[in-house]
Amino acid sequence: MGTSLPDGFADLAPLVADWAHDGVVARMTRRQSSTIAELKAFYEVMLPRGEAVLAHLRQYPLGDLPPEVENLLRLMLMLAEVAPAVEWYNDPMVYDGFPIQRVQFRRTISDTAAQV
Amino acid sequence: MNELAKPPVPGIGLTAKYPEIGTGPIDTRIYHDPAVYEKEMEAIFKRSWWMIGRIDQIPKAGDFFTFYMPTFRQEVLVCRDRNGEVNAFHNVCTHRGNVVEHRREGHSQGLFMCRFHGWAFDLQGNLSRIRDEEGFFGLDKKCLGLKKIPMGIWEGFIWVCPEDEPHQTLEDFLGQQGRDLVGYPWGATTQSYQLETEVECNWKLINDSPAEVYHIPVLHPTSAAPTMMASGNVMGRLLDTEIKGKHRTNSHYSVRGEPKPVQKLAYFHAAAAQNVAVEDKGYELPKGINPTRSPWWTVDLIQFFPNVGFTLSAGMYTAHQVWPLGPNRSIYQQRVFVRPATNAAERFGQENTMVEFRDIVMEDFSTLERIQRALDTGQIKQFHYHDHELALRHQHKVVTDVLADYDRELA
Repeated sequence: MGTSLPDGFADLAPLVADWAHDGVVARMTRRQSSTIAELKAFYEVMLPRGEAVLAHLRQYPLGDLPPEVENLLRLMLMLAEVAPAVEWYNDPMVYDGFPIQRVQFRRTISDTAAQV
Repeated sequence: MNELAKPPVPGIGLTAKYPEIGTGPIDTRIYHDPAVYEKEMEAIFKRSWWMIGRIDQIPKAGDFFTFYMPTFRQEVLVCRDRNGEVNAFHNVCTHRGNVVEHRREGHSQGLFMCRFHGWAFDLQGNLSRIRDEEGFFGLDKKCLGLKKIPMGIWEGFIWVCPEDEPHQTLEDFLGQQGRDLVGYPWGATTQSYQLETEVECNWKLINDSPAEVYHIPVLHPTSAAPTMMASGNVMGRLLDTEIKGKHRTNSHYSVRGEPKPVQKLAYFHAAAAQNVAVEDKGYELPKGINPTRSPWWTVDLIQFFPNVGFTLSAGMYTAHQVWPLGPNRSIYQQRVFVRPATNAAERFGQENTMVEFRDIVMEDFSTLERIQRALDTGQIKQFHYHDHELALRHQHKVVTDVLADYDRELA
């Protein structure tokens, strides 16, 4: 999918290769296999750009996203996955939680497909 | 977001509304005794209706899905025929018993063909083709169609009963609780995630897990507590528990505190406050939702006895289902239904909703297998319930009463 991002988001480009993953299962795996330091580093770069990223994403209907917008969206979806680790648990895992490795997704929502 | 200042802290007194339920400690035997489980299978599970999907999964003629019911080791094939009717069959070929349709979902051109010997059935279950039919001995094809399973539809949800002759109709099974929920926009949340896990615990423990919020300030100190228990509800009290026969609804008090930074992005910049927005919902809640009509309402937990629960707010809901496998084994399925995203920013809002909910369930479930160990080894013989754990006390009474009725029936 390449590593390019829309104009104006070049500062996030170094994140794409490591953090833009296709689908919730891949993002969960990435979170669980990261250290909390890695998750925090990602979070701290993404969070201040969140409003600008969402303002950009709002212009694009799902189903026909240019590749660089897909990358930007997937970084935001990864931020959603990472947020509880950083904001709630200070740990990649749910603190003292049921092992998430035992949970399977039987249905997911496509990252990019049209929904209406 | 709810801006009303100084909401009242809900009081004690839920249990007193239902004096027949009592206030004493309860015997935990029904949570682990294999003999109780055997009886529950006959008296409760086989006599209940089970939700297996939604009609939106099969919008067009020929669309189908299959669903395995682990409690009964039965598989169901659901399809839409050319008259637009939804049909449900046991997914069993009448030749030798293989599944007729092996895929989880898809579209049929009009025939389901068994991958064993090629017998083919139409969308109404009629046996339409037998391969090399002349080699058989006077078969009557009309008698060899797929066997229907009792099926009913409520608010777009497809329910089946594992017994050929249902103990009661779906309408009677859903009762007043079902009638009071008609009119909620169940079908507006067209997008869903579905999660599943096997848990080494009794089915009732899984139902108990979200059925009281007394635990929220302690078990969810950084996740749900700051948003659900702000403004002085530090003990985690409910607005109400309303009991309707075997079913019940917990109504949740909540005034949102300051959201966490990523929540704030989702709530305010991604049209994703699907689990909190109330004011501009654009429809009237049916009387079974937010039954006290409290301005501090956010979520109801709507439980259909025995095993289907909806965690429902104004803009989205989840549906959980427990499939018992034994006295201390169950399968938990959770569907998270959200409204469709029109643009890429809203897609982020959906993901935020699901991730938060999933992680909070992981916090809830940390307790289940530990409690079951204590039950199985006889370390806890009684549960002492708080006033706001009324839903658990109610479930215990319903199970105990149904089993006693069943004993009388057999006597």
